[in-house]
Amino acid sequence: MPQLPEISSVKTSNGAVRQPARERRFPWLNLPFIIVITCVVAYGLVIVYSAVRGQEDYSFSRQAAGVAVGAVLMMLVWRFDYRKLSDFTTLFLIVNVVLILSPHIPGLGTDAGMGAQSWIKLGIQVQPGELAKVTVILLDASIVARYGGRLDDPREYCKALGIMLVPFLCIMTQPDLGTGLVYLFIAAVALVVGGARPKFLLITLVAGIAAVAAVFALDEVLATRNADGTVEYKLLKNYQRARLLVFLDPELDPTGDGYNLKQAQIAIGSGGLFGKGLFQGTQHSLGLLPEAQTDFIFCVLAEELGFFGVMVLLALYAALVLICFNIARSAGDLFGTVVVMCVVGMWLFQILENIGMDCGLMPITGIPLPFVSYGSSGMVLNFVMLGMIGSVWTHNVSKR
Amino acid sequence: MLIAFIAALVTLVVAAIVVVAVLFLRNRSKSANLSVNKNVRPISSVGVSSSLGDAGGRVGGGTPRSSAAAQRPVANPADNLRSRFVAMGVLAAAVFGSLTAKLWSMQVLSSESYVSESEENQYATVSTPAPRGLIYDAAGVALVKNRSSLTVLADSEVADDHDVLQRLSTVLGLPYNVVRQRIQDTSTGAQSQRVVAGDVRLRDVAFIAEHSDAFKNVTVQTRTVREYPYGGLAAHVLGYTGAVSEEELAAVPEGRDIELGDDVGKTGIEQFYDRLLSGDHGQRKVVADASGNVVEVVSETQPTKGSDLYLTIKAPVQYVCDRALANLVAPVNGVIGTGKGVSASAVVMDVRDGGIVAMASYPTFAPEKFIGGITTEAWELYSSDEAYNPLLNRAIGGLYPPASTFKAFTSLAALAYGFANGGTTWNCTGSWDGWDTGIPQRCWNHSGHGTLDLRGGIVNSCDVVFYDIAKQFWEHGESQGGSIADTALQDYLKKYRFGETTGIDLFGESSGRVPTPDWKAEWFRNQPEEARWQGGDMTNMIIGQGYVLATPLQLAVAYGAVATGNIMKPHLLKEVHNAAGDVAASFEPEVLDVPDVPAENLATVRDALRGVATENAGIAALFNRYGVQAACKTGTAEHTDDEDTAWFACYAPYDDPRYVVACLVEHGGGGSAVAAPLGAEILAAALAYDEGSLTEVGEIAGSTGKSDVHASGGSGGRTD
Repeated sequence: MPQLPEISSVKTSNGAVRQPARERRFPWLNLPFIIVITCVVAYGLVIVYSAVRGQEDYSFSRQAAGVAVGAVLMMLVWRFDYRKLSDFTTLFLIVNVVLILSPHIPGLGTDAGMGAQSWIKLGIQVQPGELAKVTVILLDASIVARYGGRLDDPREYCKALGIMLVPFLCIMTQPDLGTGLVYLFIAAVALVVGGARPKFLLITLVAGIAAVAAVFALDEVLATRNADGTVEYKLLKNYQRARLLVFLDPELDPTGDGYNLKQAQIAIGSGGLFGKGLFQGTQHSLGLLPEAQTDFIFCVLAEELGFFGVMVLLALYAALVLICFNIARSAGDLFGTVVVMCVVGMWLFQILENIGMDCGLMPITGIPLPFVSYGSSGMVLNFVMLGMIGSVWTHNVSKR
Repeated sequence: MLIAFIAALVTLVVAAIVVVAVLFLRNRSKSANLSVNKNVRPISSVGVSSSLGDAGGRVGGGTPRSSAAAQRPVANPADNLRSRFVAMGVLAAAVFGSLTAKLWSMQVLSSESYVSESEENQYATVSTPAPRGLIYDAAGVALVKNRSSLTVLADSEVADDHDVLQRLSTVLGLPYNVVRQRIQDTSTGAQSQRVVAGDVRLRDVAFIAEHSDAFKNVTVQTRTVREYPYGGLAAHVLGYTGAVSEEELAAVPEGRDIELGDDVGKTGIEQFYDRLLSGDHGQRKVVADASGNVVEVVSETQPTKGSDLYLTIKAPVQYVCDRALANLVAPVNGVIGTGKGVSASAVVMDVRDGGIVAMASYPTFAPEKFIGGITTEAWELYSSDEAYNPLLNRAIGGLYPPASTFKAFTSLAALAYGFANGGTTWNCTGSWDGWDTGIPQRCWNHSGHGTLDLRGGIVNSCDVVFYDIAKQFWEHGESQGGSIADTALQDYLKKYRFGETTGIDLFGESSGRVPTPDWKAEWFRNQPEEARWQGGDMTNMIIGQGYVLATPLQLAVAYGAVATGNIMKPHLLKEVHNAAGDVAASFEPEVLDVPDVPAENLATVRDALRGVATENAGIAALFNRYGVQAACKTGTAEHTDDEDTAWFACYAPYDDPRYVVACLVEHGGGGSAVAAPLGAEILAAALAYDEGSLTEVGEIAGSTGKSDVHASGGSGGRTD
């Protein structure tokens, strides 16, 4: 991770030391931040190019267009003062609920074929659950910002937690467990950074595990057994159960989800130290990797560029995370800090889940790899997040 | 399930616990020793931020924080903030660390096993089926050939896909229901893909290939399939092929490699010599993608074609047989019942080496119906009651009472035991009551034959003569206080291999039956009053009635032994030619046995059989028409509630036997009226072929599955 020392030397110094930096011509410009995101996006485009070549259903230019649109949006958001948003808790809550529940509106929602009602059609198909990540972050940050970093009253804590759980409960009506877990993780980061007492966090964790156990116990009771011997569960869908089971034992179902996981692992493992060469991946080009453009795109990278190629991506991610940490620390208000940390936390979770699922550390869920997975709306969304971070940076420059 | 979910979240939970634990530890260390340096900076930063924040109108941010800082300096927010950053940093480090460690172990430490799995994924070995060997007659006339056929196949799930079925129906020009029925059909056994249509036009195949999206799970293959130039000619001998079944796959004989989807011989020569005909698969190592399309051929070995077989069958003689049987039984539009009887069979054997010159059975079938799996409609046609089981080879698998044709062998037994000799005479009055039951047994000629010797008994087929001989055997049996075995007659008959298979190179041969007291006791074990062996059983058996059963092939082999003295093993295979065209093996004649029969006894019986051919006006006229010097015997098996079954056995030339013919018309009428003309025609054809005057070979049609038995006109009672 070559960038780390340089970046930390710039950003970890305190305000007094950084005084000369104010004399720069573009004080709002965070050069390391720009360089790292440029590298991550460019690297991601190369991987996408390899993954979509020869595929009729995917187009590289669409992905590139997503980057272009995203970059413009990022600029707009960057210039916008994020502080104006810190008071609109109620508005964010309403927007979230409407957005996440919109696929249920008749005529608007479409079933994308995965058994979940999670898409809407507005000229183009969009997943409102993805867009809502932005508003969920803003909602959670605005809640914890109200308490000014001291969430030590149990009643207030419960109130905050209750509001934060609303988006999760809404998304589970679709149901979309993957996105739901992202919301939960964002909420957890907001609570940690927002100053909730460790005791509360611990109790919440235990209660959460107990709730999950209760859901499963209840599910066993509610399950209906069909005439042909199959069991139909009400709360957790059968395909979600299958994915969890396969995570435990990939050999269980080598043609379904287990097959996907096995092929993904073969692709990663066979990449070796230096990979099979860019555009030379056999697992991918022979069509053995399912959803190689989206959920399993990391396998394309791992197969073609090997351990070194993978490490470059992880290093870029780590650099991005570190720069963002510093931006968060330098923010003058808790709202800005929490927003940045929630975005970083979300990315961390997506990186862990996406790569972890490919190599068998995590169960299979459809969570995209930030800046790499195919999908222009996801790309635009991530650029908006970058814009928010940039806004936090720019609008605190004067105070540094 | 619970365990599964908990395990799935373990990574997350551990990470979260680490975060919380770090928060705890940081808090504690903070409260324990307050470092001035660390305290000053956060407070100053909070101060700046809050004052500015208030100015900016942020209500939630500033006020509570400053009051909190005043009340609880130890747990001030900025101080907490720092520890929280550390916690987040630990989380990030844990994420990147665990991913790096896992990827290191996969990509560096155990990469090799993944590489080999990846290569396994990449390369597939496809075996290409070998063309089967061809089958020729003795002179090299091809009876079974190969041709290539474009075949459309579909996976079984296509049967549920209405759209694909509709498109297949339109493109192939087949009714929708037929397409669906063929895909649902499971008679092809282990093969997962069902044949929708064979011999598809190239342009239709091209259309399907171009629109593969619209024809999901439909594939097109070029298959080598059997071709039968003469239709159903010798169908029972040749047999048919079909896709290998699961049972056959489970029990593959050593040295034979069969794979799923291969064609194997199911009956006849195709089945018996399957190993010779099948050849060896070729192997192609290919790079195939996930949907099984071949991207690149890495290496290839060509399949080896199976060996060609030359049979002892002579196609023109076979054609005469098949055609004569069809014309006799079902002359009008192939409807059984418009001629004589319901089924018929004929065997022509070369008595010198046992080679089968022709073997026919009617009703017959068209082997091409089995190409690519028999269709449901064809199967239903062949298995209907009206079709009279066209798939059965009656020449080897049909069992019938041999009737008076048996008298040649019972005569030899009588001569051997001295119950008859040249001077013995009998007086036939038309009935016989040797058992003093008051219910006399009748000779077929109810008005009686008068005084006869043994030769006269055979020539006139007089039953009374043989009833009396049977009584002699009975009375001289051990159980009646006599000196010979109770089964002396049966034992003598078994010398001519009645009651056992001949060992011809076909599967499905029946052994027939020669009844004995033991057999009867076993057969009627549940009806003890019927189980006792009686004198009547002997009198029935000696004229080939009652419990005696034989196949046409057994009778041909036995008459061949009368003609030459040798029991020849009947066989169909003449030569095996390997893929290069060289003779790899040829069949050696095999004498199964030389029955220990005095020459003068044989001469007596041969003379009597010659007498049958010359002294019965009708039969003599038949052979005279063809100019054949034959010896023969007719037989009429009587059934209590059905038309008689006609038999005829003959060989020629009388003084230097070359061919023996046995033929049968089930429920066709009397032997001399129905079977004799058939046998004479076939025997004459076999001799004419040798002279070169018979060369015509034509096509034979399979069963139509229709019958109209009530119109059957059996020609009167017995005349033998």
